[in-house]
Amino acid sequence: MKKSKKPNSLVQRRKNFSFLIPFASLRLTLTLLSLSMILIFVATLEQTRIGIRGALKEYFESFFGIWYYPEQFWGSEYLHSIPLPIPGGYLLGGLLILNLTSAFLVRFQWTGKKIGIQLIHSGIILLLIGQLATQAIQEESKMQINKGEKTNYIERFHGVELALRDVTDPLKENVITIPQELLENGGILSNEELPFKLKIHHFGVNCDFEYGTEGKTNTTLSKSVDRGVGQSMNLNVVPKDEDYSNDALNFGYLVVEILDGNKSLGTWLTIANPGGSKYWEMMYPKLADLAFQSIRHEGKLWGIALRQKREYLPFSIELLDIKNEYYQGTETPFNFESDINLHLDDNQTRRALVYMNTPLRHAGKTFYQYQMNDSASYTVFQVIRNPSWLVPYIACILVSLGMLWQFSFHLFRFLKKNSATPKST
Amino acid sequence: MFSNLHQLCKQLLAFCPLALLTIVQFSCSEEPTIQSYTIASEYKGSIVTWKLPGNWGENSELSGPMAGSFHVKTESGPKGRIGVMPFRQKVSTLDVANMFGKELGYPTFSEKNLSPYLKKKKIGLRDFEWVTLIEKNAPAISSPKIALLALLRQEGETWLFPFIADQNLVRKESENFTAFLESCVLRSAKEQPIVAKSNRPARKVISTPPPTRKNPWSWDIPANWAKGKGSSIRLASFVVNGGDGKKLDISVTSFPGDVGGLLANVNRWVGQIGLSPVDQSSLEQYCSSITLNGQPGHLIEAFGPDQGLLAAALFLEKEAWFFKLQGDRELAESEKSNFTSFLQSIAKKSKQP
Repeated sequence: MKKSKKPNSLVQRRKNFSFLIPFASLRLTLTLLSLSMILIFVATLEQTRIGIRGALKEYFESFFGIWYYPEQFWGSEYLHSIPLPIPGGYLLGGLLILNLTSAFLVRFQWTGKKIGIQLIHSGIILLLIGQLATQAIQEESKMQINKGEKTNYIERFHGVELALRDVTDPLKENVITIPQELLENGGILSNEELPFKLKIHHFGVNCDFEYGTEGKTNTTLSKSVDRGVGQSMNLNVVPKDEDYSNDALNFGYLVVEILDGNKSLGTWLTIANPGGSKYWEMMYPKLADLAFQSIRHEGKLWGIALRQKREYLPFSIELLDIKNEYYQGTETPFNFESDINLHLDDNQTRRALVYMNTPLRHAGKTFYQYQMNDSASYTVFQVIRNPSWLVPYIACILVSLGMLWQFSFHLFRFLKKNSATPKST
Repeated sequence: MFSNLHQLCKQLLAFCPLALLTIVQFSCSEEPTIQSYTIASEYKGSIVTWKLPGNWGENSELSGPMAGSFHVKTESGPKGRIGVMPFRQKVSTLDVANMFGKELGYPTFSEKNLSPYLKKKKIGLRDFEWVTLIEKNAPAISSPKIALLALLRQEGETWLFPFIADQNLVRKESENFTAFLESCVLRSAKEQPIVAKSNRPARKVISTPPPTRKNPWSWDIPANWAKGKGSSIRLASFVVNGGDGKKLDISVTSFPGDVGGLLANVNRWVGQIGLSPVDQSSLEQYCSSITLNGQPGHLIEAFGPDQGLLAAALFLEKEAWFFKLQGDRELAESEKSNFTSFLQSIAKKSKQP
């Protein structure tokens, strides 16, 4: 008996993947795209209130967000109090991927004629997947280098860690870092490399702090502090919500007790300076020791500090010179330029010039010129690690090829048809 | 059946993109763990650390220039005072011996008459100067007090390790003291800490007052007070000679911050005259209120078996001022009215144009 259908025919595929038919609807595509426009509109409005990071977190890096009608708009006295759920980026992105994949399987014909459509949709699917992968694995950090100095680590813009450094050896330091997630969970933390245990009393991502004065009692969370700068400066800490605005300065704080077995060695307060630990000395000379609070234990000197999450690199960058140019008569930057030496692991040195739109790419990281201070002679690079950075380029090539194929196909068919039409007499 | 299975497999394949997405999303969010790694030394500050013998305890309150302060745990409670004092410059052994010798009833040492008390001792790889001072005129009923002063010269700095306790305890703990000295890791700062260069405006900048050794006070000195020997710590120094070797030492000192606060300083002082430390609730037995230059201060009066102490402490916003009289008990009691008049006369000097 002759087989009536090819295995890859549309009919056969619709039969095999029948459950995907409702997801392949063009109406669903249009609905999702319309909702995406609403999402972008709402997030853009909210960006002015909660900053880019806040809007990203609330609306794009979530399945849904809650939006309140802006107080400044007409009718807000009635509408502002109503919480409006807005579908988030993960939900819309996920559904769009499902919708496009379903359409690919149960709506499109896999023929040479339609290969352009298939390429376009493959490109869009790849773009969406690439975006999700970027959100999941991209890391943004910064590297500040003073002129004439070398730096071999980068610090995250957001997120802190507790660093314990054994500095007894004059040549090397043993560093133990505890990520923010574990500090948030609290409890007692230990590690085989640590000779003592840590009992987390309080942790927060932002705070206000001030020197305590006589007659003014310490806040609950500072009361237990009996060692270090928190005790000597009688620091009062008042927890605050995380600030998502663009120029936010979030001072994370931690009250931690150090236990040697069951014996308490004391309770310390440590605060993270969002500019980096070096800024304590400059911004608050009295609190300079927050960059390194000493703990002596069994003949070893340990330093404890809450700091921006740090990553050490197998290479270092030396800042040789900086150039800061402005448009004549204005304060609008025309060019920031950092002349650097990249010192590699094998004692090789590579000279490079990093300036606007011309980053340094090395070891999977891209160093963009981010900030510069000519008078203070330092430069700051924004450092991006994004293994999926090529995906959008590939997606765009696929979409372009698809469109080229599709339009060319129609053009040639039209020209062929036109040339085949008999001339009228 | 096989065709159904084939169909099912195909349907499952349709979920591959979604499954891939889920894997990408969740596999990339690493499980947070404690990490450890080794880097080249970045620490540029000084290193002072030690290993304490099992029967020693650490005093949590540090006063003045102390980097560490310890006691010996005994059945009758904490005894003795052991310390680690770093000096940023080379301090002469003579100065150190005189600082402690006064407490133990010694006349001021000269280079010549200090030599019997001074010897060299090698501990581990380091050479210490070793000064042993035994209390003069100690009461017969008790073991005399000993000040064992170990001085280490290293990289242009001087480290002083005083061990002050009664003779029996010092002898009993001499091995522990040696082991403690051997265990000490001492390293001076590599360089001044690198300060981040920036002109970025700070949110809350609180500046430290520049160090100044100018005396901002004026006072009236009682007629029987003579000018005493100054030092890098003291802003003013006076002595009262009462005859029969009885003496009083009066000093004016200031420190940035509160140098441990009232309780820590009172306990340090009462310890110097042979009294036991007190806790916050018992502080009143030595302290009362006083007004100095119109500002509230604390008056401390303590009298030990032989020695007396009168002091005033003034804690200002950025610094602490101490006006202290210490010495022979009887002489201190008789000099109380003069000391009070001296305190009452203290006034801030008017600023020079």
